[in-house]
Amino acid sequence: MSAVVRADRLTKFYGSARGIVDTSFEIVAGEVFGFLGPNGAGKSTTIRLMLDLIRPTSGRVELFGLDPQKDGIEIRRRVGYVPGDLRLYERLTARDLLQYFAHVRGMRGLGAAPRLVEQLQLELDRPIRALSKGNRQKVGLVQAMMHRPELLVLDEPTSGLDPLVQQTFNDLLREATGEGRTVFLSSHMLGEVQRVADRVALVREGRIELVEEVETLRRRAFTRVEVSFADAPPADAFTGIPGVRELERRGDSVLFVLEGTADPLVKALALHRVLSLDVHEADLEDIFLTLYRNESPHAA
Amino acid sequence: MLHSVFLKTLRDLRRGFVWWSVGLAGMSALMVSVYPTVRGNAALNKLVEDYPAALKGFFGFGGELDYTSAAGYLGMELFSLMVPLLLLIAAIAAGSGAVAGEEDRGTLDLLLSLPVSRTRLALEKFAALVTESVALGFVVWISLWIGAVAVGMDISAAKLAAATTDAVALAVAYGAVALLAGCATGRRGVAIGITAAAAVAAYLVNSLAPLVDLLDPVQKLSPFYHYAAQSPLRSGLDPLHLLVLLAIAAVGAAGSVLAFRRRDLA
Repeated sequence: MSAVVRADRLTKFYGSARGIVDTSFEIVAGEVFGFLGPNGAGKSTTIRLMLDLIRPTSGRVELFGLDPQKDGIEIRRRVGYVPGDLRLYERLTARDLLQYFAHVRGMRGLGAAPRLVEQLQLELDRPIRALSKGNRQKVGLVQAMMHRPELLVLDEPTSGLDPLVQQTFNDLLREATGEGRTVFLSSHMLGEVQRVADRVALVREGRIELVEEVETLRRRAFTRVEVSFADAPPADAFTGIPGVRELERRGDSVLFVLEGTADPLVKALALHRVLSLDVHEADLEDIFLTLYRNESPHAA
Repeated sequence: MLHSVFLKTLRDLRRGFVWWSVGLAGMSALMVSVYPTVRGNAALNKLVEDYPAALKGFFGFGGELDYTSAAGYLGMELFSLMVPLLLLIAAIAAGSGAVAGEEDRGTLDLLLSLPVSRTRLALEKFAALVTESVALGFVVWISLWIGAVAVGMDISAAKLAAATTDAVALAVAYGAVALLAGCATGRRGVAIGITAAAAVAAYLVNSLAPLVDLLDPVQKLSPFYHYAAQSPLRSGLDPLHLLVLLAIAAVGAAGSVLAFRRRDLA
């Protein structure tokens, strides 16, 4: 089977402002493809090119082997989309909006909407202007998924969702891919992507810097661990522990950089009296730094 | 009311429509109710006859000035300015809001992620604006006709219909221009500004042409010329002039589609 999405040297400039440059990638059926990058990296530009909301400066993108500009209607029939900057009809209720979109989509009923509404516990009968950000986001998700699209295109879909709903959302995505459907998930948060994505593309300044299996990325990602001790441990207490590097000491607390599993560090810490433990997942910047300089924190 | 973009757009317009209807009906009824005090008042006619030619051109709405006749009175009081002006404003509001309004509010991205083409979207929006203008025209016509019957005005329902049709055609033409400006720029405020400026310029060209020789050659380019030259209250619609107005509307709608299709959305 051919790729669900294939971008080939896709480039978009807004006047002289950069959108994306020379972007090529392929998404195969049934996978969750994470599109990860800081704000302004060109993620939304890529998505809007896929939906023919904007046109490429050069290069091309195909969905289901079709051209968005020529076969836009056919493509959009098979795609569900949640925009990054989700704006809904404020005066309509969620029910009205779903009905409207179902009609424009030419659906007979509301498709999967009733079930999605129940799973996400969305309130249907209040005007959208009275809904919280999280509830609006739910409306966005339901309208994107109600026609059971072959491809879901989600631009920062979980912003505003509380953790419990995020869990439901992740389940919905797994269910979709379980049925052979495909998900394009853009985000600036690694945590959000790595929980559900199979592969992830790292985007920075309009270019895809690398495409990697999430598993591989996870193994390379590292964590910062800040430990404060009852008594400062000896200076060499943590040397030679695999995957652990001591970054700096401040009085009785030590900042470690951890790559891979936490086990070796935990075992080593157990020998000391630990007062508190603070774990920060590496942010995107850290990962970029290690991946692009092609060095891991303890390699040097 | 949520079965298509067309119906959804009408639904969005309905709130405004109620107020426009109240205003237009009220104005029409008021003007007609005053007519009995004008009818047969020779002094008033004398006053108007002494107007400078320029002013007569301004207010005449086609044909001779004859303030005390039903056709002359309605032409001067309603159809020379107020009726077309109000219908124009409503149509420009609808036309500029149709595509550019959704783009400004950010709802267009989601709407165009559905399987609907830009051509179809623009045309359904245009159809909604035409429907609103026709409905407002109907409100004007029915209020005038009821009023005319009530005060015994010497004018037929057909002539009143001809005049309102003329005004609706003018409004739809400008609505289409507003739609085009909105489709081309994606910004509602800009679309309103461009269209309003074009309308004021065209109105002034037509009104001042009798005074300023320089404007004579361009007077026929003004939609207001084709609107006023028909004199529908006296002689009914003139197909040629009406056709010019409808052609402007058609070109505006077609241009909207072309402009909208080739552009990046904001």
